[in-house]
Amino acid sequence: MPSLVHCALQSTFANSPQLPGIDHCDIDGFLHKFHQQAPLLIRAMLWVSALVFWATPLLTIGVPVPASWLSSDRRDLHAHRLAVHRSYLLRQSMLMIKTFGGLCWGADPAVRRVLHLDAYPADPGTWRT
Amino acid sequence: MPGRHIAFQAAGAVADATGRLGQGLELEADYVVVGSGAGGSAAAITLQRGGFSTILIESGPWRDPEDYPSSMYGTMRDMFTDWGQLIATGDSIIPVVQAQLVGGTPVINSAIVVRTPGDVLQDWRDRLGLGDAFSERKIGDAQDKIEQQLKITQIPVDVLGPTTQRMLDGFQRVSIEGHIITRNVHDCQGSMQCLQGCRNRAKQTPNITWIPELMALGGHVLSCAPVHRVRVEKGQAVGVHGWFRHPENRSKGEAFSVRAKRGVLVAASATGSAPLLMRSGLDLPYLGQGWRAHPGAGVVGIYPDFMDMHKGPSQAAASIHHRLDVGIKMEHLSLPLELFAARVGGGGSVLMNKLEEYRHCAMWVTAVRAQAVGRLRHGWLGTRLHYVPTAEDLSRLRFGTKLLARMHFEAGAERVWHGVYGLKPEITKDELDLIDQAPLDNKAWTWVLSHLFGGCVLGTDPATSVVGPDLHVHGVRRLHVVDASAIPTTLGVNPQHTIMAMAMVTAQTIAG
Repeated sequence: MPSLVHCALQSTFANSPQLPGIDHCDIDGFLHKFHQQAPLLIRAMLWVSALVFWATPLLTIGVPVPASWLSSDRRDLHAHRLAVHRSYLLRQSMLMIKTFGGLCWGADPAVRRVLHLDAYPADPGTWRT
Repeated sequence: MPGRHIAFQAAGAVADATGRLGQGLELEADYVVVGSGAGGSAAAITLQRGGFSTILIESGPWRDPEDYPSSMYGTMRDMFTDWGQLIATGDSIIPVVQAQLVGGTPVINSAIVVRTPGDVLQDWRDRLGLGDAFSERKIGDAQDKIEQQLKITQIPVDVLGPTTQRMLDGFQRVSIEGHIITRNVHDCQGSMQCLQGCRNRAKQTPNITWIPELMALGGHVLSCAPVHRVRVEKGQAVGVHGWFRHPENRSKGEAFSVRAKRGVLVAASATGSAPLLMRSGLDLPYLGQGWRAHPGAGVVGIYPDFMDMHKGPSQAAASIHHRLDVGIKMEHLSLPLELFAARVGGGGSVLMNKLEEYRHCAMWVTAVRAQAVGRLRHGWLGTRLHYVPTAEDLSRLRFGTKLLARMHFEAGAERVWHGVYGLKPEITKDELDLIDQAPLDNKAWTWVLSHLFGGCVLGTDPATSVVGPDLHVHGVRRLHVVDASAIPTTLGVNPQHTIMAMAMVTAQTIAG
């Protein structure tokens, strides 16, 4: 399952000419933290969405293979077509990937530096006892 | 003597009066208030100031500004109700934005303070037959006090960001009312942290204002303490019962029971109060019904110069010009990059090319005074919310979307992303009329639900309401509901000020 999540996140937040993609971020560290901390339902939403991403190239680009077997160009096209697919549930699965991937990618110091945003300090995670 | 704050207690950790461990925490006060957000905190401080011993119980932890996260990941984890997993379902899936911590949703909202519109109070009095329970004078007097206590002021012009300036310019160019927002924020530094909680302590939220005062006056606070049920004996609320829950691993902790000598006030939110009363076994025909909201969606303008959403408050400009004739409110909303990435259309390189333009983007939103009426249910899977915006609501959103797009263009935007599925995703000024073709289909729009109302609505008839004009639950003595769940209609403006005022008026009446 982690490889499917990686595939979906890397394809969705790919490198661009000006912005680092999510594969420059600490995806493993993020997912480890996410799987330790998030409730089961939230984790399941990411897993199911990643599975949908992996299994649906036939529905988006007409190629009957899993997304992980596609070339990077084809996977990029698959990611976009899934995000704008006529099926509402397929679009929603992509929204989940963008939501959780965005939490990782958008907090990355390198990404934020390019966009002239301050790096985040560590979240304390503390409360009054 | 100052009151105590009791946070998570592990199972078996509390001793009874004879020193036996594992007997659970037992407390007693004149009043027990469940929920520490806008309504609960306002009611609790009013009762405590009135000389009644009060215990305030919150399901989430108490986080001080030093504990607030910076990232949106931390915000979802530490502040959102169950990581934001509550969604409204019907013909589409709509996320619900709420917080679960001491201070409630005001900790993560944009602190917008708007007085209750007179037409709303008049409608409640005349059409719903509520009499003078919430007259303009009573609500106005309470709101005067709240504004003084929470240092409510308009945002200083020098902290406004470029996106706000453009929106104010846009209002002027299309000749509609627009204004700088008034908020419960003191000495704002424009650091765009409203949605993650203001670490500068500028936002005057209950966890740093009324709740510390409550404790200074002798009131007690329980945090990490979700109430399982209100205890009702012989038709009278006599207390509450629940178990502490660890804020990180969510493990079940020690049991707690709080006995209320004079009454229980429920303020567990528009998605929490009705389910709590259902769990408590109350057989009220309208419980969970009459649920309403102001669903909204955003329009992004792409400008040739830098908009830098991170400069200035999260929300700083708004318009109620079309509140009555169309039924919309328009607001500026700057999103942190993490959330913005999810709201922008497309995937892969198409998405990333759009995100490269983040610095040039300004986002404005339409909040619809929706006609849709939903319902809450509670089952073994937890709370379920059924809510379907109507065709009329979609039509209002389409109107607002087109108007905001027009304002963007008038203010200098080169292109607009409207976020509607089925339309060309990016339009120029010449293509503005394409928005008229946007489908009236909830699946085509990216709604978000905020400004939530109902579930325990007030009214005079127990068949169509849960609480009476004094917010007293029909048929149960000494039980009140004092939060947004009692509000029987939409307001068309941000509800925080109304919720606080209604809770304060009710608590003043209870306190005599």
